[in-house]
Amino acid sequence: MTTIATTPDAVESKPMGVPRINLGRVAAHLALLFFVVLWTFPTVGLLISSVRDKDQLALTGWWTSLAHSTLMAAARPDTADKAVQEGDHWVIKGNLFGRAKGQQIETFGPTNADIGKNAAGATIPMQDGGKLTVEANGDYVWNFDQQPTYSGAPRIYYVTGSPPRFTLENYARVLGSTGVAESFVNSLTVAIPSTVIPILIAAFAAYALAWMQFPFRGLIVAVVVGLLVVPLQMSLIPLLRLYNIIAGGINDMAGHQVAESKSYLGVWLAHTAFGLPLAIYLLRNYMAGLPREIMESARMDGASHFKTFTTMVLPLSFPALASFAIFQFLWIWNDLLVALVFLGAQDDRMVLTARLVNLLGQYGNNWELLTAAAFISIIVPLIVFFSLQRYFVRGLLAGSVK
Amino acid sequence: MHKLLLAGVSAIALSLGVAGSAHAVDLMFPKGQGDFNWDSLQKFADAHKDLSGQKLTIWDAWNEQGDKTQWEAVLAYFTDATGVEVQDGSSKNYEEQARIDIQAGSPANITILPQPGLLADFAKQGKLVDLGDATTKFVTDNFGAGKSWAELGQFVGPDGAKHQYAFPYKQEVKSLVWYSPDNFKEKGYEVPKTWEDLMALQDKIKADGGTPWCIGIESGGATGWPATDWVENLLLLTQPPEVYDDWVAGKIKFSDKRITDAIDLFGSIVKDDKNVAGGTKSVATTAFGDSPKGLFTVPPQCYLHKQASFITSFFPEGSKAGVDYDFFYFPPMKSHPELGNPVEGSGNLVTITKDSPAAQAFIQFLETPIAHEIWMAQPNGSFLTALKTVNPKVYSSDTLRKFGDILLNATTFRFDGSDLMPGPIGAGAFWTGMVDYVNGKSSADVAAAIDAAWAKL
Amino acid sequence: MIEQIIGALIAVAVALAAAFAYFWGSNWLLDRFLATDNSMSVETVTRRDLRRSSIRPWLFVLPALLFLALYLVYPVIETLRLSLYDKYGLEFVGFANYAWAFSDGGFWQAAFNNLGWLIIVPFLSTAFGLVIATLADRLWWGGIAKSLVFMPMAISFVGASVIWKFVYAYKGPGQDQIGVLNALVTWLGFDPQPWITIPYLNSFLLMVILIWIQTGFAMVILSAALRGVPEETLEAARIDGANGIRIFFDIMIPQIWGTIVVVWTTITITVLKVFDIVYAMTNGEFQTQVLANYMYRWMFISGDYGRGSTLAVIIMLVVIPIMVWNIRRANAEQGTR
Repeated sequence: MTTIATTPDAVESKPMGVPRINLGRVAAHLALLFFVVLWTFPTVGLLISSVRDKDQLALTGWWTSLAHSTLMAAARPDTADKAVQEGDHWVIKGNLFGRAKGQQIETFGPTNADIGKNAAGATIPMQDGGKLTVEANGDYVWNFDQQPTYSGAPRIYYVTGSPPRFTLENYARVLGSTGVAESFVNSLTVAIPSTVIPILIAAFAAYALAWMQFPFRGLIVAVVVGLLVVPLQMSLIPLLRLYNIIAGGINDMAGHQVAESKSYLGVWLAHTAFGLPLAIYLLRNYMAGLPREIMESARMDGASHFKTFTTMVLPLSFPALASFAIFQFLWIWNDLLVALVFLGAQDDRMVLTARLVNLLGQYGNNWELLTAAAFISIIVPLIVFFSLQRYFVRGLLAGSVK
Repeated sequence: MHKLLLAGVSAIALSLGVAGSAHAVDLMFPKGQGDFNWDSLQKFADAHKDLSGQKLTIWDAWNEQGDKTQWEAVLAYFTDATGVEVQDGSSKNYEEQARIDIQAGSPANITILPQPGLLADFAKQGKLVDLGDATTKFVTDNFGAGKSWAELGQFVGPDGAKHQYAFPYKQEVKSLVWYSPDNFKEKGYEVPKTWEDLMALQDKIKADGGTPWCIGIESGGATGWPATDWVENLLLLTQPPEVYDDWVAGKIKFSDKRITDAIDLFGSIVKDDKNVAGGTKSVATTAFGDSPKGLFTVPPQCYLHKQASFITSFFPEGSKAGVDYDFFYFPPMKSHPELGNPVEGSGNLVTITKDSPAAQAFIQFLETPIAHEIWMAQPNGSFLTALKTVNPKVYSSDTLRKFGDILLNATTFRFDGSDLMPGPIGAGAFWTGMVDYVNGKSSADVAAAIDAAWAKL
Repeated sequence: MIEQIIGALIAVAVALAAAFAYFWGSNWLLDRFLATDNSMSVETVTRRDLRRSSIRPWLFVLPALLFLALYLVYPVIETLRLSLYDKYGLEFVGFANYAWAFSDGGFWQAAFNNLGWLIIVPFLSTAFGLVIATLADRLWWGGIAKSLVFMPMAISFVGASVIWKFVYAYKGPGQDQIGVLNALVTWLGFDPQPWITIPYLNSFLLMVILIWIQTGFAMVILSAALRGVPEETLEAARIDGANGIRIFFDIMIPQIWGTIVVVWTTITITVLKVFDIVYAMTNGEFQTQVLANYMYRWMFISGDYGRGSTLAVIIMLVVIPIMVWNIRRANAEQGTR
């Protein structure tokens, strides 16, 4: 096994031909910058979109989010019965903007076609009678000579300009009303035990497969490696059937079935099993790479395999254990299928990925909720990844660099 | 050792499961007020007093937020009457989940799906509970066009005979065209009474520089289904219902000229870039729930949108029926007066997938008018029922009441054909075929591909 | 909600305690019942020592083997069985399902697309990974660059699909584009395109997502391997007057060839199992079907277990050569120690 502890800047200090250095360097900087921008661009788009105002988000690209935007919309003034008598005439007053303040009406009109005809502050005659004035801030006054009797209120069409708006409202909505917060907790509930449980089981097996002599060892290693490539989808139904049989057998005193086939326990065990091939494979490779002398000196001192394993191999393998844990955590957090099948999609049990898929369907392309929810779902893996990146890399290397 | 672990952890897991499901019962409409049939609830409650504390799990298609809260408001009355604790679930891919659960032997007590084809499959495998002849009689006697609704829930069981496996609940009318009255008024357009008028309107809108239709057929794993509705509807407009029935049953092939003509009639609309907002290319990538939004933009991206009654839950927040939007019948053809006023619809079917006294009681509950009225009365709902014992006054809008009348008085009523076809066709090849058709393939090629898939079932 | 997390933590504690109790306890029992001491004859001691050391490994691997047998081996066998049965798994039909698969247009289309995925994704991921690793190791901000390129590895397929749907979003000509790709295309003066509906190009665009995710993986591994290339070799080449590109192709690549192959196979296996991306982006419409998604569709949407299982078996068969190669490699390592 190659050692990986070479210093990162070892390559840095290469002497190269002087004229070539600068050109090559500049090209290298540019090329790398190009790749980095290409790779981060989509995620940045998601992040920026998630804090944009929903009306702007649906109409313009996120890269224009700093520009002033105009919007065409329509709203209805109050109905005729809201008219108030003032002296000898009748008035309806109000504001055309319901929720979204902070816009400025530029022009308005009584039809789609006339939307650009009247500047804010102008007064226009209406088809339903009377005269309407609309101010830039959305306030309107509709004056009638007699009590108005129109049925339904006509639409007023207007063009607004709005400065770039950034808001956390999307997040508030997603967390508040769509069950995303609940799912976040569910995802944690699924992920934590499923990450920890396989570690010990795999570590013992890996040690045996790396350092102990016994028949069929080669075959077992072969099977483990082979199982790495089994498509998970096909194992779901046979397993769920098995769960039903087991759960059906657990009864209380009165003979009622007390266990459910879909439970957190079921998901934990399933994830444990599905994670084992990789865990054993990674850990075995790592442990096999530990210096033979350590093992031998320990054995010389009369330590049993059990003791050698717990006192020497396990602590030495910490980087590999940690990296597997990260791998497994990311995998489980990002998993959709196993959770759906073994936990179900009942509202109170839905994990974050399942919730995201539902949002995709429910809101069509309501990007503002989707982007916020998506970002919430990737925030935990990103934290885990950036804080534990070192181990992650070392674990991967243990399994692959030979 | 392992057993201990299992026992210990399953105890925790169980307590977790229980902790998550306790809901307080909140009733939306106070009992005894309004035009509701409250006595039917009382009668039902009196008859089912011994169920308190039991659990009932339900799996259904209502994952859209509006539908979900409205449905759970109905369930609250069931809980109130019986004391049964209800757990309701759904997801975007509810059909797949239902299949996985049923196949694995862990279904909900009640499974509600809008696809009779799928349920027929379950029935054949003996996964559904026979509701009995009393249910057949109830539906036949108490539903508008009762016999056809009852038959919709009858499937061949594992014994080879037909049984009543499903109870119809929440019907939808599909043959509708939506429009904005404001936009029609501004342009002086009239609601068309015949297909010919509709085509004339379409041309007029184009001549005025507008775009007639908003069409979107993207729907995640089910992309293509809105286009199948178009074809089914056009077939009903151009051919007698018997042809439709034979086609759905596989006796008439897709490559039959009568069918490809219907497909091409749809093509005459959708394959003209000027007819569709965003052009033909955008049809397959526009989400069906997004597409009607073009009716509401300023200026309007389109003037017409054909979709079932449930589409109102996708309209912009706060839109009012009859004011911000309205609808008309997908109009019959002047050239086919003999076909009358055909209506295409769809609906959900309630089945028992895991029997229990609470599940049986639930079917009884759905036979009460109140179980329908609670949903009918909720604002922004899209609930329709063909049950004749309900009081139509409780409908939350005139629009819904009009739909209700269509259902109660329909002469030629046909169920969504793709939902009736075998799964790999109706929820597979037909969808894919329509996507390919919209994206440029000919109707003959598409029909041949669907026929080939059907032949291999 | 908090109880739920506490419950999970308790479960962790219970599981760890149980696992520890099992391993420690079984070892203790083994040492106890097959104990040796000076009073015993040499033969007894030897026999007991031998027996102990032949049992102990099994105690170590037993829990893992049980899990693997139940959760992975049993389903594989069950799938093999079901692939020979009809739709409902009731009637034996021999190889009818296989005959169906090989005469089915959808299958061949999925297989053809899969072939594209198998060639393009591992190649581009590895190539980009190698280039980025080489560049990053030479520059002071290489570490940050590597972190950013590696980041997509941490994003779920579902999350990635949302991100990329946003990139490929389409609006009709004349409207403001909200998708980056179409914005770029219209800025260059062309018509916007509904990217994911254009056959063959769309398959490639879906592959881009997986390449985006997997490049970081390739980069990290290859970067470490590159650092393992002995400095003297590079030095010697430089003295001989080789330029950077020559050194890269003639010296570095041959030196790390073994690692490149490992990265390649690892990504290949991922590619064969991937169905989430296709499922979330197109569900196989617009001729983007791949085998894993096609299998999912037959199994869970059409409910045909015979055909679904058959497709699963075919996927496994395709993987076998890679698997055998992997096993050989594992065994070869075994031989060296």
